[in-house]
Amino acid sequence: MPTDVERWKDEVYGNEIREHLFRFAEEGWDAIPDDEADAWFERFKWWGLYHQRKGQESYFMMRIGTPNGVLEPGQLRTVAEIADEYARGPVDNPEFGAAYCDWTTRQSIQLHWIKLEDVPEIFEKLEANDLSTQQACGDSWRNIVGCPVAGKDTHEHIDAWPVAEELHETFKGDDEYANLPRKWKVSVTGCDQGCGQGDINDLAFEPAEKHGELGFNVRIGGGLSRKEPRLARDVDIWVPEEKATDIAAATTELFNDHGDREDRYNARIKFLVDEWGAEKMRRVLQEDYTDWDLETAGEDLRDQYTYNAGGHEHGDHVGVHEQPDGNYYVGLNVLVGRMGVEATSELADLAEEYGSGEVRLTQRQNVIVTDIPEEDLDDFLAADLLDDYSPDPHPFMRGSIACTGTEFCSLSIVETKNRQVRYARWLKENVDVPAGVTDFHIHLSGCTASCAQPQIADVSLRGMKTRKDGEPVEALDIGLGGGLGENPHFAEWVEMRVPADEVPGYIQNLLDTYEAEREDEETFREFIQRHEEDALQELADPEETDYDDPYMHNTKMTWYPYAEDDDMGSSPAPTNGDGEPISADD
Amino acid sequence: MADRIIKVNAYTTFNLLDGEAEGHGWTEAALAVLNVTTDDGDVRLELELDNTDTDRVPAHAERATLSPEQARELAGELESYADRAERDE
Repeated sequence: MPTDVERWKDEVYGNEIREHLFRFAEEGWDAIPDDEADAWFERFKWWGLYHQRKGQESYFMMRIGTPNGVLEPGQLRTVAEIADEYARGPVDNPEFGAAYCDWTTRQSIQLHWIKLEDVPEIFEKLEANDLSTQQACGDSWRNIVGCPVAGKDTHEHIDAWPVAEELHETFKGDDEYANLPRKWKVSVTGCDQGCGQGDINDLAFEPAEKHGELGFNVRIGGGLSRKEPRLARDVDIWVPEEKATDIAAATTELFNDHGDREDRYNARIKFLVDEWGAEKMRRVLQEDYTDWDLETAGEDLRDQYTYNAGGHEHGDHVGVHEQPDGNYYVGLNVLVGRMGVEATSELADLAEEYGSGEVRLTQRQNVIVTDIPEEDLDDFLAADLLDDYSPDPHPFMRGSIACTGTEFCSLSIVETKNRQVRYARWLKENVDVPAGVTDFHIHLSGCTASCAQPQIADVSLRGMKTRKDGEPVEALDIGLGGGLGENPHFAEWVEMRVPADEVPGYIQNLLDTYEAEREDEETFREFIQRHEEDALQELADPEETDYDDPYMHNTKMTWYPYAEDDDMGSSPAPTNGDGEPISADD
Repeated sequence: MADRIIKVNAYTTFNLLDGEAEGHGWTEAALAVLNVTTDDGDVRLELELDNTDTDRVPAHAERATLSPEQARELAGELESYADRAERDE
């Protein structure tokens, strides 16, 4: 029995949504018939528009898909200008101001408070600058991720950027691949550090050598969500660079044909790989979807992976690094991936003045300015902006990832970004950094959808609720010791429902125990993995400290967590194209 | 500790209830998640007690499947017992 979503997609999906989107934009929010709203919201996702949550009706999150996180010269400025003009809501965010840009864990860009009525103008401006929201969300090829410095990296064995670019050009906008059973996440890595995070993608290309030639090993079926995290499985296939698009097409077609369209919760290819096993997956690909003899896997570089590997930490390209051409790229730390528009503009200015204008986004929500000549480095590093977005951040200010949370997302149970900012600051002020720790990965996800990739962090936090002093308060489940690297490992969940204001105290206690009990120079991840499950719970207790959390109340029941009058009934939404409340009895 | 079984997001019916597991000669109290969902034409009720608070049972969730008719019957019972519970207060 096809799902509602499948029926809606059958009626209208893909490129043809655009004309309807523009029609509604012209007629206004009110023109969307109530009984068709769900269907249209589902379809708008294909064009990167995600309706914000209850209390914020008529406002959209807009996701711009930038393959491999590459923003060509001029594009960051375009994004800043669009955010400045269109991404302003009825209330400011107390931490980040009136308008801001989010860099995501898939190297894309998210803007909020977008009005439907402004979409045609926004698209025009984006497209004039070679940017697009096409298929940024929805059941289709999502933004392709990879090592953010592909093509400019002294660690790369194969330049993955042309491959990512070709995949993007080939599959985005192609009607044949526009309607898949579910989202389709692809990663292409060419470096020896594992920065592409292939392990958690549906389809992963990793550098590997076969009969003296450099190409890619293929892995299939990774993904974190729905409480069923999976690592991409080795299907024993190697392709030369020129066959990457062909095998991608084959795998997409297999997913299209065999992915479950009856149960959206069973639709990701990870479940198909569970069911079939890697061998059958390979066989079906060979027999039914490819017209050349698939080679077996080549020799990979996994034993050299340092990205999110838990020790000798890669650090997500933050800092100053030389490029093969003798210029430098500088990675800047962006706490929880959000920058105000002024800062974003300034960053665009600096990139233009000191680099080539190019900026790249990472999967840890950070930014990189590339192509800075050696003689200009000192001046660049002296820029005021780098006080807030540092190439040399404090270990606790570094390594934080937070999802959108109850601020905008209808799935989340708790507030996330502002909270994680407060956690990081408190830890920096109050906790000694254990020796050898250069960054400490804390990933905060508002629910089990896992958009902040909680399963692969030193400390994983996931939204929940508990009772404290008789009142329901925001709380977090806590997991420990997750990460990628040569031996990827998901976090062990050790605490449930820790009141949000006791989490910093817990982390402080945990790190005290780590310092006191670590053997030799074992990394935090090694320390955690040395302990049995039961022993992990004994490592630390939650504790109230002088940490103060202003979001303990049920923020998902507010219309906006930071509004002075946050009661749902006080919401101005829905509003018209000018942001004026639409009267309910119109 | 094992991870949760039932996924929990803003659409989960209840994420903070008082739960209890009872066996022969023992009871354990724990906070609980209770969710109503559909499954292939039926209504499904699922319950999970926090496994961090239950030592006697392995981490698990319970599920019961109801036909739409049974679900309505349950809804009716819930209504009338809610009335009764208020009178008992």
